[in-house]
Amino acid sequence: MAHSSRSLKAQLLRHDVLLLLVLALEIAYFLNFARNFGTPDNLSNIVRHSAEIGLLALAMMPVILTGGIDLSVGSLMGLCAVLFGVLTHDLHWASLPAASLTVAAGLVAGAFNASVITLLRLPPLIVTLGTYSLFRGLAEAITQGTKTYRSFEPAFLQLGELRPAGLPLQAWILGVGALGFYVLVHRTTFGRSFRAIGFSPEGARYAGLPVLWRTALPYLLAGGVAAVAALLFTARLRQARADAGTGYELAAITAVVLGGTSIFGGTGTVYGTVAGIAAIAVLNNGIGRIPAVLKAGIGGELASLLTGALLLIALAAPGLSKLLQSVRKQSTLPASANPSPSPTH
Amino acid sequence: MHDVLLKLSGVTKSFGAVRALKGVSFELHPGEVHALLGENGAGKSTLIKVITGAHTPDGGLLEIGGKAVESLTPERARTLGVACIYQQPALFPELSVAENIGLRLEKPGSFKRVDWKARRQNAAALLKRIGAAIDPDAAVKTLSMPEQQLVEIACALGSGARTVIMDEPTASLTRSEQELLFGVVRELRASGAGVIYISHRLEEIFALADRVTVLRDGESIATRPVRDAGGQMQLSEEELIRLMVGRPVAAIYPPREGTPGATVLELEAVGCAASGVNGISLSVRAGEILGLAGLVGAGRTELARILFGLTPADSGKIRLENREVRVDSPRRAVELGIAYVPEDRRRHGVILQMAIAENMTMAVHPRLFPGGVLRFGAERALALEYMESLGVKAYGPEAPGGSLSGGNQQKVALARWLATKPRLLILDEPTQGVDVGAKSEIHRIIRSLAAEGLAVLMISSDLPEILGMSDRIAVLRGGRLVQTLDGAEASADAVMAAALRDQPAQPAFPSL
Amino acid sequence: MNRYFRELSVAGALVLLLALLGIVAPQFFEPQPLLSRLTAQVPTLVLTIGIAMVMITRQIDISVGSQFGLCAVLAGNLLTGGLPLPLALPLAATAGAAMGALNGCLVAWLGLPSIVVTLATMVTWAEVLRLTQQGRFINLPAGVQWLGLSQAAGQTALLAASLALLAAMAWLLKNRSGGRHLYAVGSDAEAARLSGINPKATTFWVFVFMGALAGVAAVCNLVQSPQVDPKCGTGLELKAIAAAVVGGIAVNGGRGSLWGAFVGLLLLATINPALTFLHVEAYWEKAIQGAVILLAVVADGIRSRRNAS
Repeated sequence: MAHSSRSLKAQLLRHDVLLLLVLALEIAYFLNFARNFGTPDNLSNIVRHSAEIGLLALAMMPVILTGGIDLSVGSLMGLCAVLFGVLTHDLHWASLPAASLTVAAGLVAGAFNASVITLLRLPPLIVTLGTYSLFRGLAEAITQGTKTYRSFEPAFLQLGELRPAGLPLQAWILGVGALGFYVLVHRTTFGRSFRAIGFSPEGARYAGLPVLWRTALPYLLAGGVAAVAALLFTARLRQARADAGTGYELAAITAVVLGGTSIFGGTGTVYGTVAGIAAIAVLNNGIGRIPAVLKAGIGGELASLLTGALLLIALAAPGLSKLLQSVRKQSTLPASANPSPSPTH
Repeated sequence: MHDVLLKLSGVTKSFGAVRALKGVSFELHPGEVHALLGENGAGKSTLIKVITGAHTPDGGLLEIGGKAVESLTPERARTLGVACIYQQPALFPELSVAENIGLRLEKPGSFKRVDWKARRQNAAALLKRIGAAIDPDAAVKTLSMPEQQLVEIACALGSGARTVIMDEPTASLTRSEQELLFGVVRELRASGAGVIYISHRLEEIFALADRVTVLRDGESIATRPVRDAGGQMQLSEEELIRLMVGRPVAAIYPPREGTPGATVLELEAVGCAASGVNGISLSVRAGEILGLAGLVGAGRTELARILFGLTPADSGKIRLENREVRVDSPRRAVELGIAYVPEDRRRHGVILQMAIAENMTMAVHPRLFPGGVLRFGAERALALEYMESLGVKAYGPEAPGGSLSGGNQQKVALARWLATKPRLLILDEPTQGVDVGAKSEIHRIIRSLAAEGLAVLMISSDLPEILGMSDRIAVLRGGRLVQTLDGAEASADAVMAAALRDQPAQPAFPSL
Repeated sequence: MNRYFRELSVAGALVLLLALLGIVAPQFFEPQPLLSRLTAQVPTLVLTIGIAMVMITRQIDISVGSQFGLCAVLAGNLLTGGLPLPLALPLAATAGAAMGALNGCLVAWLGLPSIVVTLATMVTWAEVLRLTQQGRFINLPAGVQWLGLSQAAGQTALLAASLALLAAMAWLLKNRSGGRHLYAVGSDAEAARLSGINPKATTFWVFVFMGALAGVAAVCNLVQSPQVDPKCGTGLELKAIAAAVVGGIAVNGGRGSLWGAFVGLLLLATINPALTFLHVEAYWEKAIQGAVILLAVVADGIRSRRNAS
């Protein structure tokens, strides 16, 4: 029916608009009430500090688009960071080969998730809950719970400092990542099949799509991206620790859901995810700069709290509005009849 | 005169443009087994759903136990003593048989004490009454389908239902299980309950039923007693078939044209044990429409799924244009040039939430989007082309599939597969749930596709459609091919008789 | 016999492990340390009972660790403020139930996936805790630890109480129709609805009950030491889920027993000290926990695929 799909479009647009509105409000608020929020220095800080979560969110988006979830990306960051530390410090590898092996390890971890989920048809939730524990556990075991790797090759640490063409390197990497995922999700047949699988795995199968491979791909990518995020994180903080990336999976999922991707799969946009990342990054940064918050030193906690609350609201909103709509529409539809869509002709 | 358990007078029911029931009258007396007969699409399942409260009729009168009933719900139907045993049992797989029976029969409530001993005893007693050798403690998921069905029957027995509906109960039972079932039916009848018995097995109907009602095109055509007062058979198979299929002037179908070319598909004793399909040998030539006829459960869709790689064959040979092939996945099928427009349009044929254009191009990604990069211009052009040639009515190629009518959805599904330029096109119920206008459009399209050289395998439960469209007709029964007929010469009676014919060398049932 | 194969194999593994310990490290069985180790598992046991019930209903709740911590801090502060000890339990349970109700509303009435909802509430409660408590320990008044009894007596009391709770809940799940509703809803919510069960209400109450148990578990933990550590709940949800999964509770719902989850907990709780006695370092704990979850789930997956074909 003509207007049901137009109103679907209208709904989507509304979500994007709302998100941008939230983002604008945040920025306006912080410009007024947070100290030094609008300075170019701070703005570049926002980007630098959100690169890792941003990358994870971008990788998480296709996973959720196919109707799955990956809770292990934050832990994998920790494991990859530690792995990099071991390679460069204990085995004295040069940074580049160590980084390459780290990314390869991330891909292997992603492939592990992918194969258990697709081949054994196990729920992604419990599999990635297990790897969430396993990966972090391995990181802790390798570092014996305490070890921190500190000194790295200056060339590597440059990653945290470089400013090609005036913009922090993280901005470039995030930009490339966003572009890459945009192309993947919106401009390739892979992305098309992600959506199809998210809406109806059976329907996708009947259309001859390679459902198993396409379901596995997002998890594989998420593994690789987590490794890259770990490298960026390590370069920026100048240390590699087992607790790298703690809680990042939540921020990533929040950014994705906030950005309009349905938690049930099928619908979602990469630019929505980018807007979600921006909303969270701005929130994290701005909150810590409000004088009262700064004084009390509770910036981090408040930001995480608001992120959690934001996720709840983002989750509940579509459901609530649908509930309200159906209450309004309590009409005389019999409980049973096969509903026939009204013909367009 | 004994009171009537169930009475329907002039009941009508429509779904959108489709009139499923056009005025059905039916009566069930206590202590009778009343068979309900009719080909697929005659309205049997709609009628049953009206009786069990799953559907509300649009018009007519429904009386249960002599009292008129308005807006019946499934819960209310159950309290009024109506029980239905479907082919797909609705049991809890993880729970035990005893618990399943208990949950079904006990009154709901959250704080009651569960008496496991009583549950087990009750279940055991009911199962014993049926004569089913099923352990009450076994988890339902460990039971076979027929065993689960027997559990359903136990539930019906236990609920003390007075109107028991059995929908094709013997379809998947072994001979000994069938005997059990007949015993149950006998017991129900003796206890004064009424049984509505839906079956295509004429031998069973003759052996079990007291009366037969034939449905055709949503109307109750006739109700006949099987035997007269003296026990003599009053009804014959020919008469029943004639009642089932006899219809006025046939609809107009596009004329057959051209001569068929080379053989495209050849099946040699193809089967798949898990699907219940066995030893099918047939062939389809280019430019030919082979109609696949048979009753629901005869194995037609199962054969299609085998050919499309959803449930690959485990016996026999499949030859495509004289080359032997193995079709082990839908992807492989598409590569080989096999296309399948499935029966369940809304779940498998079209992804409702995605646009028409996206649906139409879903099977041709490698060809239309080389390198995996989407080309929206090419996609839109393809969509517009098919929308025009097939006459899809929508506001544009970006309209979601779910916004279209059934006929238009079917055209989108068809377009998806035509875009793959297949060698073999398998159509499963291509005009089911489609209004009359779109139906003839689709028929025209299918015939012109064949004329262009496509080999078409068409599964249909609509006899006139099979007769009007097919160049040749293959009739399936019980997972096997029982007869091949020439399309132009076949009669409805012949096809139906073949579809109803039981396996050879089956002993007659003792009369009950 | 086959019905309980899963639970029995876990029990078998436990027996084997205990036997191995008996041979290699008999000091594992010294009474007082053993009692202490067992009592330390009581809070996790209480959580496991709740989580098992949630999973049987085909849901999950990863916010229980945060609920636990918040209830512990709440109770601790109230006790320090003069609340009599007997009131601590019902108050903590109520606070937990309220948090569970939030989960329940979002999952049951709005139909949202429980993993994401409880992920959000997990962080929300954890941050509320961090904000309000700032990592400060709470010093409990005298008479709270060990319920005012001697250590051994207190430990025995706690153990006995938790086992009684386990037995009671296991009995309820088996012998009260409300308990069976969890299995029905977890097995097939639609069929349950057609049988007259209300799946939404069932789901809602299971989350509320889980929250209440989190509060109870918090108090059980609180009475075991003179201080409340606000980080006490961290990671407990995974321990409970691991125990349930190992003990045979299916993630897809409808299957498993509390006794099985209990044995699963015992097995996991024995692995860690066993590692110590076998000279494996403690920092392997999380990795082993994750590996055990994966092993249990993969084994179940392989078994069900083999059964299906």
